[in-house]
Amino acid sequence: MTAGIEVRGLTKRHPGARPDRPALQDIDLEIPHRRFVSLIGPSGCGKSTLLRILAGLEGHDTGSVSLLGESPRRASRRKAIGLVSQTPALLPWLTVRANVALPGKVNRRSGKEVDPPDELLRAVGLEDAADQYPHQLSGGMLQRVAVARAFALRPDVLLMDEPFSALDEFTREALQYQLLGLWQRRATTVVFVTHSVREAVVLSDEIVVMSARPGRVHEVLDVDLPRPRDKDIVKGPHMHDLEDRVRASLQRAWKAGAAPDDLVPL
Amino acid sequence: MREEAGIVTRTTGPDEGRAVGVTTSGPAKNRPTPETSPPAVSRARRRSVFHPFVWSPAVVVLLVLAVAWSAVADAHPYLLPRLGEVGAALTGDPALFLTNAWATLGIALVGVGVGAGSAFLLALLMSEIPVVRRAVMPFAVVLNVTPVVAITPALVVAFGFGMTPKVVVTAIITFFPVLINVATGLRSVPVPVLHVFRTLHASRWEVLLRLRIPNSLPYTLAALRVVLPLSLVGAVVAEFVAAGSSGGLGTMIRNSASTARLDHVYAGVACLAAMGVLLLALVTLAERRLLFWHESRRSTRA
Repeated sequence: MTAGIEVRGLTKRHPGARPDRPALQDIDLEIPHRRFVSLIGPSGCGKSTLLRILAGLEGHDTGSVSLLGESPRRASRRKAIGLVSQTPALLPWLTVRANVALPGKVNRRSGKEVDPPDELLRAVGLEDAADQYPHQLSGGMLQRVAVARAFALRPDVLLMDEPFSALDEFTREALQYQLLGLWQRRATTVVFVTHSVREAVVLSDEIVVMSARPGRVHEVLDVDLPRPRDKDIVKGPHMHDLEDRVRASLQRAWKAGAAPDDLVPL
Repeated sequence: MREEAGIVTRTTGPDEGRAVGVTTSGPAKNRPTPETSPPAVSRARRRSVFHPFVWSPAVVVLLVLAVAWSAVADAHPYLLPRLGEVGAALTGDPALFLTNAWATLGIALVGVGVGAGSAFLLALLMSEIPVVRRAVMPFAVVLNVTPVVAITPALVVAFGFGMTPKVVVTAIITFFPVLINVATGLRSVPVPVLHVFRTLHASRWEVLLRLRIPNSLPYTLAALRVVLPLSLVGAVVAEFVAAGSSGGLGTMIRNSASTARLDHVYAGVACLAAMGVLLLALVTLAERRLLFWHESRRSTRA
């Protein structure tokens, strides 16, 4: 199995922060290609920072990062990275279809083919909304458009930063299944940052639990739920065991990190 | 200014129904129909311009002002002309006012074209090359706080009595608001969207063309809303100072005042007011066509 994402000894300090508390310290991470991995941890553990480094949006101080054997910058040059953030980040003056087609319009030099937008919109159940503008859609629909736009590239690596955290519980669950369906068919490596234990367990093959101050990988947990995952599997007893294990690990991770400066120690 | 804008919006109101129907054809189906949900506020907002509820307050104020004007004009005919005289001046020689208005409008629009156009280009340069920003900004600010009117006599000396000094004054007056607004619009791009462009390795040119310039459009139009009426001020002031043979309402007003033709003075002012309203209406129309996606237009429609 080829390494999809390889992070070795990565350390990142935010400028002006305390030098003894790097945002990320000695991160070692190996994610095989076509795996679905979640990053979870207390706030301030650097999971979003790590995601931005993987996306090539931020640099790092020491260590190395490679996506399918190349640096994030080179990967983005050939449009191998899809990004979905917490907000849909669509262009409000373009129709939904034009928004999904955007990855094909920019950086044509990469020579990368993109999927026809209508096909992707059908996959996320929004073919009827193709000619509408973002302000006419609900939050859940907008985030589905953002997911469709990211998949349009057939990215080798899909990076998602709490993409469903602003949505209500029902929409969120529906989108999780939709994402799983899309991922199953267009197998790519997914790194998914989340705050929700349940979301992490439902979606992932592996859960990377991080601790804060300094940001470190605390533990990597395997999720041995069968795929494809349907509602029965997700409701089963094993699911609850897994959730409890992740919660316990998060507790330990929380204690392992120094107390945040803005909280009273327990 | 605000009221003026409001009136313009309403007078062009009949189009609104059509425009809304086109741009929001999608969600119209899940919007409640007026019959089933008549909350008081939205009903007042949906009333047609022709409903007395909408136009009567403004008409009442207009009548009060007209009565007050007439009272003063009757008491002091050398201070204020009667409204009838102003009307007679306008209808008596419409060609005079039209040609002069045309000359002034031409100067104002050419001035805006030069001023706003160069400001837009400079804003683009500033957003792409930070050094340009640091080099230019102090001078732009100084230019803005200088009462440009004061330069006009010097410009007349330099450029003569033709069109050039007037266009230059108008261009200088309209330059700064456009520069500041466009520069802000080009910079205030949502970070998540910028991140998406960067992970796609979009070139600077692509970011500028597909993200920054469309994003600056609301700011640009807001600047035009300020700057177009301002251009009339620039043109008229320049005409006052450089009252050459080229005509224009400013020249006409000054000459009429010196010969105590108050009816012509106020008729000229009325023409200027009408031109200002016209320019604002144009901006409003452009905003409605171009900014259907922007919050500023949606909130008025909701």
